[in-house]
Amino acid sequence: MSARLPSLLLLVALLAGWEAWCRLGGVSALVLPPPSAVLATLWSEIATGRLWPHLAVTATEMALGLAIGAVVGLGVGILLAEFPALSRLLRPYVLASQLVPKLALGPLFIIWFGFGMTPTVVITALICFFPLMENTLTGVSEVDPARRELFRMLGASRLQTLLRLKLPAALPVIMAGLRVAVVLALVGAVVGEFIGGRIGLGASIIAAQSVMDSSLIFALFIVITALGMLLYEAVRLLERRVLHRFSKG
Amino acid sequence: MSTDRSTPGFVAIEQVRYRYGANDPAIVDGVDWAIPRGEIHCLLGRSGCGKTTLLKLAAGLLGPSEGAIRISGEALHGPSLHAGFVFQAPTLLDWLSALDNVLLPVSLRRRVTAADRDAARDLLARIGLADFATRRPAELSGGQQSRVALARALIGNPDLLLLDEPFAALDALTREELQDDLLRLCALNGTTALFVTHDIGEAVYLADKVAVMAAGRLAHRRRIELPRPRHRDIRYAPSFIAACRDLRDAMDGEAGTAASQRPAA
Repeated sequence: MSARLPSLLLLVALLAGWEAWCRLGGVSALVLPPPSAVLATLWSEIATGRLWPHLAVTATEMALGLAIGAVVGLGVGILLAEFPALSRLLRPYVLASQLVPKLALGPLFIIWFGFGMTPTVVITALICFFPLMENTLTGVSEVDPARRELFRMLGASRLQTLLRLKLPAALPVIMAGLRVAVVLALVGAVVGEFIGGRIGLGASIIAAQSVMDSSLIFALFIVITALGMLLYEAVRLLERRVLHRFSKG
Repeated sequence: MSTDRSTPGFVAIEQVRYRYGANDPAIVDGVDWAIPRGEIHCLLGRSGCGKTTLLKLAAGLLGPSEGAIRISGEALHGPSLHAGFVFQAPTLLDWLSALDNVLLPVSLRRRVTAADRDAARDLLARIGLADFATRRPAELSGGQQSRVALARALIGNPDLLLLDEPFAALDALTREELQDDLLRLCALNGTTALFVTHDIGEAVYLADKVAVMAAGRLAHRRRIELPRPRHRDIRYAPSFIAACRDLRDAMDGEAGTAASQRPAA
């Protein structure tokens, strides 16, 4: 707690400065609402229950996109690391698919999948795929050659070498990829909703913008940030659990 | 040490050559060597002389370009399951306890039984690590990690133990302790061992026979006629010092010859 105290104090000071500037500087609430107005809007959204359906949709899109992108990324990363010929064949296409701006694919996905959660989940999965694939490929390929030689000497099969040596050794790198993917998943879900969402936190921001409700936009920022931090911490917890388990064998 | 000297060539290295590519120079160049069952032989040489390559050939990790390697009369085609290998670095798995690291060779072949666990604990106890079975490698010193690696190589009572400068990174006192551990463990089951080192004293202390390797060839061989079991005091005996001197002269002589044979840059 004492370690976090300076951060909390800084937050309080920034909020106090922001509030004072809005009140004393005569800044229009339309341009920059004071924190007190933002918190009041946030509380009203929570108390009336208007927030929950939007939060649920965005959290679901984010979780589904992250799960699909992570599983496919992990699988493709393992395949490319284990079969160099396949890597040489597919790497340029995988790279090209990642260089296409995923959000630009949004309109196409709406044509393909219609309005609703599916296009946003697909965009989020595509964004989350790359860090998992790249980190898995790097982690599995760069296992210490002496340890690989040890497994050869012990007569280990290819699958045993993958499951008992390469994946556990690559876990810290893979988990780092997952942490990056969580942050990107939030971006994917919210921005995906900008394009084709009717419900969700991103869609709510667009709706608030159309009625010039800056307080609501700021309140939604807080919710999105809190959601991101919650998921990031959940992944950190998972990371600690997984690494701890593997550290004990 | 109880050894069966009736099988003179338990490990037979016959006219072995190894080169990386067809037109590359030979790293191992026509080596003939026989290790009787139960003996410890040391391969002594400077860095880059080909001794680690020869050891990997004996392990089946590399295949010879010419010649053959036989263990117990059978030609070697790939890593031998009857051989234990100790690498230069301990190569322990960081996420496993010391006990599970020792049990790794067993767990890769079949389900680990209570008897296997007892055998592994017994091995750890013999090398003074009885209280460290649940520790992970990061919680062990360099010497302790090397001991665990040695126990891992010995867990299935292999007929042959191959060691690639396993104690080179340790301080002198720890190295001597580990040499004693190795001699004790090999004597226990009459394990045959091929030990690669660049340390003359280590080679003389451990070996029944030492071969000096230079430029891929075995240049000098010497039987070490020191009594067993060996104790640290033997290092100060005139016969020990004489053996060291002889091997040093052989290494110096071969280094000079190798340098004169090397083409001018």
